[in-house]
Amino acid sequence: MAVSGFEGFEKRLELHFSGDNPLGLRYLSIDDLQQVLDAVQCSIVSAAGNRSFDAYVLSESSLFLYPHKIILKTCGTTQLLRSIPSLLHHAADLGLRLRSCRYSRGRFIFPAAQPFPHTSFPDEVRFLDARLPATLRFRKASVMPSATSAHSWHVYSAADDEFSVLPPSGSTIEVCMTELDRSLARRFHRRKGDDRSGDEAGAEMTELTEIGGINPRALVCGFAFDPCGYSMNGLDRDRYSTIHVTPEDGHSYASFECVGGGEMMELDCLRKAVHVFRPGAVSVCTAAAAGGDEGGVWSAVANALEPLGLSCRNQAAEDFPGAGTVTYQTFTARRK
Amino acid sequence: MGCVGFVDRRTLNRGRRARDQPRKGDRAMAEEGAVIACHSVDEWSQQLEQGNESKKLVVIDFTASWCGPCRMMAPIFSELAKKFPGVLFLKVDVDELKTVAQDWAIEAMPTFVFLKEGTIVDKLVGAHKDDLPKKVELHMPK
Repeated sequence: MAVSGFEGFEKRLELHFSGDNPLGLRYLSIDDLQQVLDAVQCSIVSAAGNRSFDAYVLSESSLFLYPHKIILKTCGTTQLLRSIPSLLHHAADLGLRLRSCRYSRGRFIFPAAQPFPHTSFPDEVRFLDARLPATLRFRKASVMPSATSAHSWHVYSAADDEFSVLPPSGSTIEVCMTELDRSLARRFHRRKGDDRSGDEAGAEMTELTEIGGINPRALVCGFAFDPCGYSMNGLDRDRYSTIHVTPEDGHSYASFECVGGGEMMELDCLRKAVHVFRPGAVSVCTAAAAGGDEGGVWSAVANALEPLGLSCRNQAAEDFPGAGTVTYQTFTARRK
Repeated sequence: MGCVGFVDRRTLNRGRRARDQPRKGDRAMAEEGAVIACHSVDEWSQQLEQGNESKKLVVIDFTASWCGPCRMMAPIFSELAKKFPGVLFLKVDVDELKTVAQDWAIEAMPTFVFLKEGTIVDKLVGAHKDDLPKKVELHMPK
């Protein structure tokens, strides 16, 4: 394990708003968006939009902008939570009211390298509590443990009276993979002397690694970083998907996230995504309407990953205001 | 389906008749170095025909007012129009010219289509600041 290196584990922020304007957050100007991202210390690399949402590939992960929902996912040593004050300010200018907030992340590989407020989960929780409006009076913070101390899932959520009981639309699935197969991870390194753009090289990586085949219906915007690293956003009707890869040996990491189709989760996509990387360890988190069948979710996820040689080491589920039921499972590759 | 362009040797159907109501008033003049926004199907057809007959490279920006990535690329598109006056740069709003957007199967935006003499030679989907200028230079007549 390297002493220090690029932190692949992302911090993820999801905010839900309401307002009369049907376009809502999509009205944000590029300048205003860049101002928000400046606070986080990242920038826009490429983007695409369709009738439902805008998707931005960032220098450190992704941003998805729906009329009344924003999902911001950043890795490395970005200060994700610092986006909140300017986001709320711009949203208020657009006549939007914040209804719920969910912040989540795994456990950092290099926690000592993280700047404030990401120095610890209590620091993050205090930062969030201080900056969210008092109308979001239902709040909960929890660390979901696993069988090993190396992995845990941190969740903070806050919601107002109505949104605390409103189920999130559909379900999301977030997958974090470490100890990537070395030969597969090498595919995410740029070749020496390759002077093509990151978009062109990214498109080639999407095809060669079969990431494009995970959801053949989606438009995939892939980007290859120099000298290594890869990000992609997928757009399929109103559903986003996203993959981020830190391929360096010693601290390799890949994440996959997508939206499920209501009750049914995208298990096929999950299986294909994990197959791309053949990781030694995987964690899978889902968020869906509360009152659902978490046992069913655990089984479905375990059944999808079992054929890939991954055994489930723990499973947990907890309810969070405005976020529904969050499930968390960790898997490790069975020794050959 | 990829985000970077593909080559499609499909030839346009030039016999298409306008179905949308044409806008009254001014007809866009082919001012050198400026992006021409097509506000009616008639205007669109005229610009395409002129472009095809002149054998110029025609670059079309399919855009929408509610799409942030489109707004991001608009100034870059304008700059390219200034830099390459020999290329015809057209802009189509997919809500304004719904039938055209449908005919061209535009789903994600911005979509840039590159035409030469009525044939699609390249396509770029999404806002890619570096790739768009590269493709213009690649397809420009030498």
